[in-house]
Amino acid sequence: MLVAGRMFALGMLIAICVLIIVCMELAKKNLPTFRKIAGLDALPEMIGRAAEMGKPVHYTTGLGELNTNMASQLVAGLSVLSYVSEICAKLGVRVIYTVYQSQVMPIATELMKEAYTRAGKADEFDADDQVRYMSGEQFAYASAVQGVAERERPAANIMIGPFYAESMLFAETFYRIGSIQLAGTARGYQIPFFAVVCDYLLIAEEIYAAGAYVSKDAVLTGSIRGQDVGKFIALILMLVGVILTLAGSNALINVMKL
Amino acid sequence: MSIIMKKSVPIALVFITAVIFLLEYFVLPTELKSTVTMLQNWGIILTAFTLGFGAVNMFVFHGKQVSRRAKGQWPYSLWLLIILVLFTLVGVIMGATSTQYSWLYNSSYFALSATVYSSLGFYMTSGIYRALRAKNAESALLLIVGVIVLARNAPALAAQFPILVNMDSWLSSVPTTSAQRGIMIGAALGAIALGLRTMIGRETGFLGQTTEGEKGG
Repeated sequence: MLVAGRMFALGMLIAICVLIIVCMELAKKNLPTFRKIAGLDALPEMIGRAAEMGKPVHYTTGLGELNTNMASQLVAGLSVLSYVSEICAKLGVRVIYTVYQSQVMPIATELMKEAYTRAGKADEFDADDQVRYMSGEQFAYASAVQGVAERERPAANIMIGPFYAESMLFAETFYRIGSIQLAGTARGYQIPFFAVVCDYLLIAEEIYAAGAYVSKDAVLTGSIRGQDVGKFIALILMLVGVILTLAGSNALINVMKL
Repeated sequence: MSIIMKKSVPIALVFITAVIFLLEYFVLPTELKSTVTMLQNWGIILTAFTLGFGAVNMFVFHGKQVSRRAKGQWPYSLWLLIILVLFTLVGVIMGATSTQYSWLYNSSYFALSATVYSSLGFYMTSGIYRALRAKNAESALLLIVGVIVLARNAPALAAQFPILVNMDSWLSSVPTTSAQRGIMIGAALGAIALGLRTMIGRETGFLGQTTEGEKGG
């Protein structure tokens, strides 16, 4: 029945899911405390700066697609888009969301419309202007975003999602026009590029926690606690593995190969 | 739109689809293979369909820019619309695999795409120039490591100082790999948590924020 070599992974997946659900349930009684994420705490300040300067905020989710294994990073980016749109609506700042994958457009439009409605400014949302389809081709999209940066000079640039070679093109272009930047991706190769150029950085797991973090919802923040407990389990497994390997035993490796 | 159509139905669809894909990966791969292939094909068809949204969005936005003669924007918008129509007409009339369409694609987009990709070298150079300054302990460490890796990749220096090869090899295989694996483990746990939140309809990036009534406790 079970695929050989994937049994341990299935067991761990079930265990972590149960752990996260338990943490979410516990969070209903006691709001968990967790570490601060500087990049997400800086968002209101970044948008406030745009309001003072009378310039827009640019947002993009990179080459995120809903039907690939990058979907989770895209959803993480959309969570923050909703939050950013609400603050922008409250402060009267225009947020421009540039889209790579056309299938994201209806979802993003709905999220932004909902955010503007929550802020009591539904009539100020202009979908045709604020949700812009650029291109489904990587470098056409990259050039189009650079064009938006050069022509509209956004005061803040927020990039959360899966990024590839265009990461440096974006980060450098927005740096040159003086935008304050927050970038986040779970793609290991692009993290260093963002780290050296952007003002704030969300590293890998932080982008997945972003939606829960900014929502301030007790149950959602419980899932972040679950994530952190999962990391402790991974650490323990690593330590046990090192000790057993040093002792000449392959027991843990064999269990993981089940 | 009722709450059932807006939230409950999409959550149920996501949950069922996610369970099917998980079962296909962990259990009985052959029996579920055809179902998963069918779902993947649906995804491709839906993606192709949504291209229409993109095209409409482009026509509306850039059409407005042209009609308003938006300063610094309208000539680019006009050019984009001309190219969009040209590609569509050639693709529909001659076929997307025709010589004419291939020529149009290869001689315009292909060349431009390669040019933009090549320009990345300049962006990386300016970024690295700013990053490699010893302003504090962390940036000094980055500078030292950067210089070692750069020197190792310069054939003349690597030949003159073979220790650079060993140092680069150690940096790549020990601290870099450890950090990458740490990031990967964290990202995987984050993705599981996000996936779970999405499956139970609590992820804000999927269906928007839940109201107090929908939270249910």
